[in-house]
Amino acid sequence: MDNEKFETQLIDYIDGKLTEADRLQVEQELVRNDKAFKLYEQLKEVIHAMDRAERLEPSIQLKEQFDKMLATEVAASKPATRHIFLQPAFYRVAAAVALLIVGGGIGFWISKEHGQRQQLAEIEKELADTKVMMMALIENQQSASQRIQGVNVALTIENADDDVVKALVSRMNEDPNTNVRLAALDALSKFHNEPLVRKSLIASLTTQKDPVVQIALIQLMVKMKEKGIVEDLRRIVADEETMKAVKDEAYSGLMELS
Amino acid sequence: MTDEMIMEAVKNGDLKQASLLFERYNKRIFNFLARMTMDRVLAEDLTQNVFLRIIKYRNSYREGLRFQSWIYQVARNIFSDHYQMHKNKFSGFVEVEKISDHMAEMEENRDREEQEALLARSMAMLNDEQRELLVLTRFQHMKYEDVAVIMDTTVANIKVKVHRAIAKLREHYFELEKI
Repeated sequence: MDNEKFETQLIDYIDGKLTEADRLQVEQELVRNDKAFKLYEQLKEVIHAMDRAERLEPSIQLKEQFDKMLATEVAASKPATRHIFLQPAFYRVAAAVALLIVGGGIGFWISKEHGQRQQLAEIEKELADTKVMMMALIENQQSASQRIQGVNVALTIENADDDVVKALVSRMNEDPNTNVRLAALDALSKFHNEPLVRKSLIASLTTQKDPVVQIALIQLMVKMKEKGIVEDLRRIVADEETMKAVKDEAYSGLMELS
Repeated sequence: MTDEMIMEAVKNGDLKQASLLFERYNKRIFNFLARMTMDRVLAEDLTQNVFLRIIKYRNSYREGLRFQSWIYQVARNIFSDHYQMHKNKFSGFVEVEKISDHMAEMEENRDREEQEALLARSMAMLNDEQRELLVLTRFQHMKYEDVAVIMDTTVANIKVKVHRAIAKLREHYFELEKI
């Protein structure tokens, strides 16, 4: 009997899956052959080690994160009542941004009317500080939720400069967390008329590997009526490794754009 | 209520029902991913992504498909996506020396801790497919029939591959034990 066949029989023997006749044959071999007996002892040890292996317990954070994610998804599934304001820190940052934008407007008016340039400069500095705070949140390597908060602050600003766009593009393409990548795409979609944003979105379709983000990207480009992606969509459809749901989305994108 | 009925409800828009599926499956999926990645923190992140994808892709769940098969297929995809995405960033798949540290937390008994660490190191030396087959059939005690559905192949093929994986694991285990 060749080695592989005998080893297979031994595994079935340990698992109690042999017929009576085969079982007797294996037992006779074990009595006769020391080498076979040693092999049996070793197989039994690894099989029992796997059977007895401890069941690992996830930390409490897993459940907490799931509950948060589910609440976000439930809210997002109701289009009219979209809540992205989840945390007090977010409220503060968003309120600060809103106030500063209003403040910026007032400052501009004051300076135009009364020439109070100094006041305008101060407000501009505060706006710049807010941008620094937002960028720090977006680029926080330790915490995905902080990065999401940062990205959500970006959603509230009126005009994104190149630094903000680059930070968002980098989150969309490279962040290890799907939720952050999606949030970054969401924020970028707001500025899709900016040439740099449009270019980055098209480029991302070529490199993006996360199916959830790929689908969202395709949907956005179709909405933007971006015909430049037709070739990329054909490539996605033809690629055997593409997930079926992504292929389906790419198909329907092709139908609409071509 | 069966898993499949709950998933149908989620698909029809009752997303809150997904928490029932989370209760039923989070530990199994976490264990699967922890044994595959040898990294508990990463396994929690990936488990979270499995459930996110289940909810985002709820419309692609086909009626009649066993939910267990589907969620494990999603978990396998998440695992392979993760390593494809990071394949250029890490030099090796698993840092074998670190595994015993990662896995050491789970045992109190010293002998079993050593045996478990040895097992983990031997598992890390298998290829992805072999490790996956052993995690599903031996650690998670899943039937060959169910694994065949998840991996889209025949029961006979699964059995042959599982036996080869056990044989390979035995070799690594007793080689490492000598060191």
